[in-house]
Amino acid sequence: MANSYIPLQMKVQRIEAEDPDRTLRTYDLTFVNESEKEAFKYLPGQFCEISILGKGESPFGIASSPTEPDYLRFTVNRTGSVTSDIHYLRNGDIVGMRGPLGNWYPVDDMKGMNVLIVGGGFAFTTLRSLLIYLLDSRDDYKDITVIYGARNPDLFIYKDEIAIWKQRDDIQFHLTIDKPVDGWNEKTGFVPTVTQEVAPSPEDTLAIVCGPPVMIKYTLPVLTELGFPDERIFTSLERRMKCGIGKCGRCNIGSKYICIDGPVFSMAELKNIPEAF
Amino acid sequence: MKMVRLDKQKFNDFIRELSVEYSVYAPGKVSGKTGFIPVESGDEIDFTSTVTDMSAKSIFFPHSEVLFEYDEDGIRAAQTSHRPIAVWGMRSCDARSLVMLDRVFGSAVQMPEDEKFQDPYWKEKYNTSLIFGCACNEPLSTCFCNWFGGGPYNNDGMDVSVVDAGDVYLMEPVSEKGTDIIGKLSCYKDAAEEDKALAAKLASDADSMMIAPPDTDGLGERLTALFDEAVWEEISAKCVNCGACTFSCPTCHCFDMQDEGKGSRGKRVRIWDSCMFPIFTMEASGHNPRALSSARVRQRVMHKYSYYPENYGETLCTGCGRCVMVCPVNLDIREVLKRINVYNEQEK
Repeated sequence: MANSYIPLQMKVQRIEAEDPDRTLRTYDLTFVNESEKEAFKYLPGQFCEISILGKGESPFGIASSPTEPDYLRFTVNRTGSVTSDIHYLRNGDIVGMRGPLGNWYPVDDMKGMNVLIVGGGFAFTTLRSLLIYLLDSRDDYKDITVIYGARNPDLFIYKDEIAIWKQRDDIQFHLTIDKPVDGWNEKTGFVPTVTQEVAPSPEDTLAIVCGPPVMIKYTLPVLTELGFPDERIFTSLERRMKCGIGKCGRCNIGSKYICIDGPVFSMAELKNIPEAF
Repeated sequence: MKMVRLDKQKFNDFIRELSVEYSVYAPGKVSGKTGFIPVESGDEIDFTSTVTDMSAKSIFFPHSEVLFEYDEDGIRAAQTSHRPIAVWGMRSCDARSLVMLDRVFGSAVQMPEDEKFQDPYWKEKYNTSLIFGCACNEPLSTCFCNWFGGGPYNNDGMDVSVVDAGDVYLMEPVSEKGTDIIGKLSCYKDAAEEDKALAAKLASDADSMMIAPPDTDGLGERLTALFDEAVWEEISAKCVNCGACTFSCPTCHCFDMQDEGKGSRGKRVRIWDSCMFPIFTMEASGHNPRALSSARVRQRVMHKYSYYPENYGETLCTGCGRCVMVCPVNLDIREVLKRINVYNEQEK
């Protein structure tokens, strides 16, 4: 029978540092086995468990879009033992991957709607996946607004792509940093405040929020205040997920498991779940 | 269904016959404690415990279990198929716990048919198993199986029910598998009318020994309503977060996955874990969504009596009483539930 505990083998194809400190690195992985590549179907918002054999596994949101079929992209913050070992990887090295796990952003419901994407820090990974996915069929959606905040200008990920997105006239792209610094010409202030200022009308608009827990916690009420109904606000939660298939119990909140019922939840669902943040 | 009697003098013949097709497990001593161990004859079996120190879950969900091995050539899944397992002497609380665990490991409430969510290590063992029960003639003061739909003579999760009636065991098939095995084995006789009457009397005697349960209707909803209340600080004040309750519990099933290896060779193992430990939810960033002891105790109680019932319509507790017995600070789950009842009515 199927065995969801067995990782597939992936090869490191490209590594790129995202910040001057090199604590954030982006990895493009390719399937070693062609048939596994064919069978791997995912949507923006899903995650994978990346294994360093001998060290362990950690969950990471998929940063590539299914419309980019050549690789799976992950951005990894060096913080614990598995992520440190990921940072030691070189091109051509093999890692384990289990996935895709969890549910996804409601991309079908976005068709014909305006989309507001609110992100913070290095949680922009699955939001990149979503943005690329939407842009690859741009005509299916109405206005797209992005609000992306980071502590300082160095901590934005995907800076080259941001430069391109900012120049496009079919996306409203707002960047903000916590405190002013010299030479910064974009917005300054926390994400919830900026959201209040620049969010589009809630009419026919779906809002997606992903970032550190504290950012989500204070951004959701702003959206509610702006008139977004609970059914059209979505966020992505995280826990220290291990099995990814609803068994090991680590990500249990209320009667849900973040790894299979989430990580994407609507605000309406979250109202019935304790301990979300 | 047909009841049969097995003379205790023929018990070893019975185990021998059963061993032809099955690996037989039964209560026995492990490092001075009682638990379920593989046995080859009745002499290795401990017939004295009502509730073994460790539960029967370890037969199907061992304390540690290899998921796969790896080396230079790649990853190989650990063998999931096994010789079928027969268990002798399982009390009703443990047999019911396996039904509860099977809902988690055997499928997922959202996608019951999707193989992706089925645990092959559990399924291969549990689905081919044969469970002989052991009705409780003398329940302990810690037993509360009657609180949540069980009882000393309850047969849920068993293939064959077994009553210890002095010199003989009286056995009755409960499932189709049970009927098959009773038809196959030869070391017993048909039970007489007196045997049936005796079994019925023992059952009603055992039932009368149980302490009457408190009102647990609407417990899940009451717990949900009390989620943010100070009652959890009061309940958890003496808990030392040792995790003994979760390890001895027949329904607790949280686990960790760890790699053991050197160089390019090694294995990934899953090991029982506990929601009582602060590190259980601790993230690499240092963020811990359940940093307080009160939040962890609440999680254990809520999962058993509110969250699981919401998904499956039954509590994740069989009232075996092990957590009551092992707790080093006498945190009695029965008192916790009674407190929840009273708190809701008087203080909220």
